[in-house]
Amino acid sequence: MKLKVFGAAIALSVLALGSSVANAADYPERPISVMVSYGAGGATDFQARIVTMMAGGEDFLTQPIVIINKPGAGGRVGWNWFATEAENDGYTLGAYNIPHFVAQSIEGGVKYSADSFEPIANWGSDPAVVVVGKDSEYNTIGELVDFAKANPGKVTLSGAGLYVGHHIAALQMEKATGAKMAYIPTKGGGAAAMKAVIAGDVIAGINNLSDAYRAREAGNVKILAVADLERNEQFLPDVPTFMEAGYEVDNSSVNFRGLMVPKGTDPAIIDMLAEKVPAMFEHARVKKQMDAGGSPLKIMTRAEVQKMWADREVYLTELLAGLK
Amino acid sequence: MNVTHNTSRAQHVFPALCVLLLSATVAYLSFTREPADAFLFPRLVSVVMLALAVWNFIRAAKGLSKVGSGISLSVLGRILPGLVVLCVYVFFAAKYLGFYLASFITFFLLFSLYDPASHTNARSWMKRIGVSVFFMLVIYALFTLLLKVQTPRGIYM
Amino acid sequence: MEFLQYFGGVFEPLSFALLVFGTIGGLILGATPGLSPTMAVALLIPFTFQLQPTQGLILLGAAYTATVAGGAVSAILLKIPGAPANIATALDGHEMAKAGQGAKALHVSFLASGVGGIIGVFLLIFLTPVLAKWALAFGPSHLFWMAILGVTIIGSLDSKSFVKGLLSGCLGFWLSMIGYDDIQGAQRFIFTDALTGGVNVITALIGIFAIPQVIDMFAKGRQPMSVSAITIEKQSLGDSLKLLFQNIKALSIGTVIGSIVGLIPGVGGQIAGLVSYDQSKKFSKHREKYGTGHPEGVIAAESANNAMVGPSLVPLLTLSIPGSPTAAVLLGGLLIHGIFPGSDLFENHPQVAWTFINSMLIGQVLMVIFGIWIAGYAARVAQVPTAIMASCVTVLAVFGAYSVQQSMGDVYIMATLGIAMFFLEKFGFSAAPLVLGLILGPIAESNFIQGSMIANAMDGPAAYFLFGPLNLFLIALVFASIAYSFLMSRRQSAVSLSEPSSEVGGAQ
Repeated sequence: MKLKVFGAAIALSVLALGSSVANAADYPERPISVMVSYGAGGATDFQARIVTMMAGGEDFLTQPIVIINKPGAGGRVGWNWFATEAENDGYTLGAYNIPHFVAQSIEGGVKYSADSFEPIANWGSDPAVVVVGKDSEYNTIGELVDFAKANPGKVTLSGAGLYVGHHIAALQMEKATGAKMAYIPTKGGGAAAMKAVIAGDVIAGINNLSDAYRAREAGNVKILAVADLERNEQFLPDVPTFMEAGYEVDNSSVNFRGLMVPKGTDPAIIDMLAEKVPAMFEHARVKKQMDAGGSPLKIMTRAEVQKMWADREVYLTELLAGLK
Repeated sequence: MNVTHNTSRAQHVFPALCVLLLSATVAYLSFTREPADAFLFPRLVSVVMLALAVWNFIRAAKGLSKVGSGISLSVLGRILPGLVVLCVYVFFAAKYLGFYLASFITFFLLFSLYDPASHTNARSWMKRIGVSVFFMLVIYALFTLLLKVQTPRGIYM
Repeated sequence: MEFLQYFGGVFEPLSFALLVFGTIGGLILGATPGLSPTMAVALLIPFTFQLQPTQGLILLGAAYTATVAGGAVSAILLKIPGAPANIATALDGHEMAKAGQGAKALHVSFLASGVGGIIGVFLLIFLTPVLAKWALAFGPSHLFWMAILGVTIIGSLDSKSFVKGLLSGCLGFWLSMIGYDDIQGAQRFIFTDALTGGVNVITALIGIFAIPQVIDMFAKGRQPMSVSAITIEKQSLGDSLKLLFQNIKALSIGTVIGSIVGLIPGVGGQIAGLVSYDQSKKFSKHREKYGTGHPEGVIAAESANNAMVGPSLVPLLTLSIPGSPTAAVLLGGLLIHGIFPGSDLFENHPQVAWTFINSMLIGQVLMVIFGIWIAGYAARVAQVPTAIMASCVTVLAVFGAYSVQQSMGDVYIMATLGIAMFFLEKFGFSAAPLVLGLILGPIAESNFIQGSMIANAMDGPAAYFLFGPLNLFLIALVFASIAYSFLMSRRQSAVSLSEPSSEVGGAQ
């Protein structure tokens, strides 16, 4: 009797909760999570929220996407979790940041590398820029570099962490100018690094183009240079690149963001995502909201991202070896 | 704080010793691991912690500072079944059986273990199952439907 | 008085409906273990996709207000603080609930939240330009001293033994260092994979407060109903109001401290409740009643954590700098709608800015009304039989800990800390100082390291950390706080020596 009732209760709850057997043909049959390895409200987080907001649409994934934040140590905590613990059933996606995770895997001490993940599609590219407070005495990158050369180690530069795009830009800047500067990694990511610049805790900072653009719109900072191959005509047509200012800093610090799944995910699911996700990124509403936030869209397919990852890996290995 | 303390000195020495050993371990690790920069703060804290732990141990050994009610064997006997269920649930069942099945079983077991009602009467067993199912439905509505939390499914769900 | 023009927007049918929905939803989410205001607001952001920016903000503003207050419900009834802000509420609130005064505790908690919250929003309305400068004045060295100031209250907080209180705080500090270190990226004290992500404060809160509760319920064994039956006292609103105004001192201390602490970016609401609880205890005539179910403690803590809400948005709305984790999420919510907070927000989108602020004002009132309304029913939770209660809290703790970051590791950490805390508590160690250590550890460490790096590039650490009016002021406060704690513990030991009856009692 006891056993019977117990069995009936289990059967009832099975009925209530629905079957859990998953296969690629039914995918997706429940909401999908996207792990972001930075805190809520940061650039990666809010961009991920914007680009995935149309996921529930009939033409796209037909199921909503939920963002989970696992911040810590410049992204290491989240990507470690994603590489080792995340289930590869297609219901757990992750956001990647290039060059961050590749540079960290080259530096060591983490449990992932580019081989641990399968890219799906890229949604954005956000170059690093140099910012100073609005009342700063420096108006061009040349003036800042000249001061740094005259006062080695005195220029403090805030950035989001170690071996993230900002840090790579700072290392390249030191190498290209020959001026020694003090890079100050902050705990709270890009937002905290920006606060340090606005409040005058540091002399200058390296930050994301999108965040810097908004801070400049709000009248809080000046933007001196952008670490990319070309000027950003859409948001910052008046800001020169490092190259134009005469310093050999290329685009290796540009922050590419996109979605990926853990290694071992069903190829049928990967193919399906690789087809639907770029279309979702291209939705007009996504573009409008990304523009409003000063965030450059750069949509790349799975094949393009695979190539980009491989290129960056080779390139960053060389770069980091040379910067030491 | 006029609690009567019938606990023995030994009972207070033991936890003080545990904390002392933990502090010593933390201090040892802080001073031996690299890079030194990243362990600067742990070193500062572990020194303070070790000093406090030594002080606390001396006090306990002298029989001073018997704060807290301690634990008697009868209490230990009563909490043990619950603790075992809790540990099996958290460290094993939740992941391998799936959250919902494991939680249902745990709820039912804990409720049955500590329910004062009869353990031989079929009606009280029905009630226990009913309450457990109802509570799991509430949890399902709150976490899965409303908050869209994807819990581990294990081999069942 | 510009804000008065925009009250109309709040009372449009859809906006008002959202306000009510946000308030009720926020109270429920806030009362759910594991859901901090930050997460609750993040969860609601997708709901705003379909709304106009102003309406979306009304929903988020109302939810923020209500979740902060809603956290008090689980803190009082289950002793699971929904967020760090509610830790201090649990200390006295749960004792009241256990004595059948749950309705009273909830009433004063919501009323104090409402008073503190409304004053906080008024500060936001009238003093924003002045306060924005003040918020920016805090650099790494000042935040470091703020954290140390927080440390000085560890010894006196809810502890029967000074040494054990400090030791608990150190344990909390150590726990906060586990995992990857945020600045250097080095691995520290990672004994198992579950610890890679470090010890999350919300996870730790659930474990440290809820699990010892559960085990204590186990310890009661198969207790017959008649033994555990609690009569729930009815509480009239009039009596609660009277009680609130009798404790006007605790209310003022809470509101003032909450507003000031809320303004400081990076420290924010996490410690507002605990600091004001401690201060109000120091200034109280009934210090000994704190921790035994004293309404003053609830009033001080809850008025502080809601007073913090308004000021914590000042740096966000004027400078686009999020001062607290929740403000960061709100910033994300604004950006998704194409609104950049900053100096031009009030000029270019006054409709959006003021409607949002007004909705928080009305939200406070609605929160009090709904809170009072549910208090009578909610208090009956105390009557739930121990066996059911223990099972409920166990399962809720596991689901709550998991949903913080959807990580099994967090569940293991929660249970391990909880079980360890049960035994530690039995020997005089306490939970509140430990959690305070866990919260303050990262603030102290990261600002110390960052400050040192900046100082090395400038005039050296001594000049950077020790000079400047704000540093000196904070250092003076640190010394005052230590001196006060020391004097008090001396006086207390003098008192207990003169009373032979208590010689077996307190430690000192």
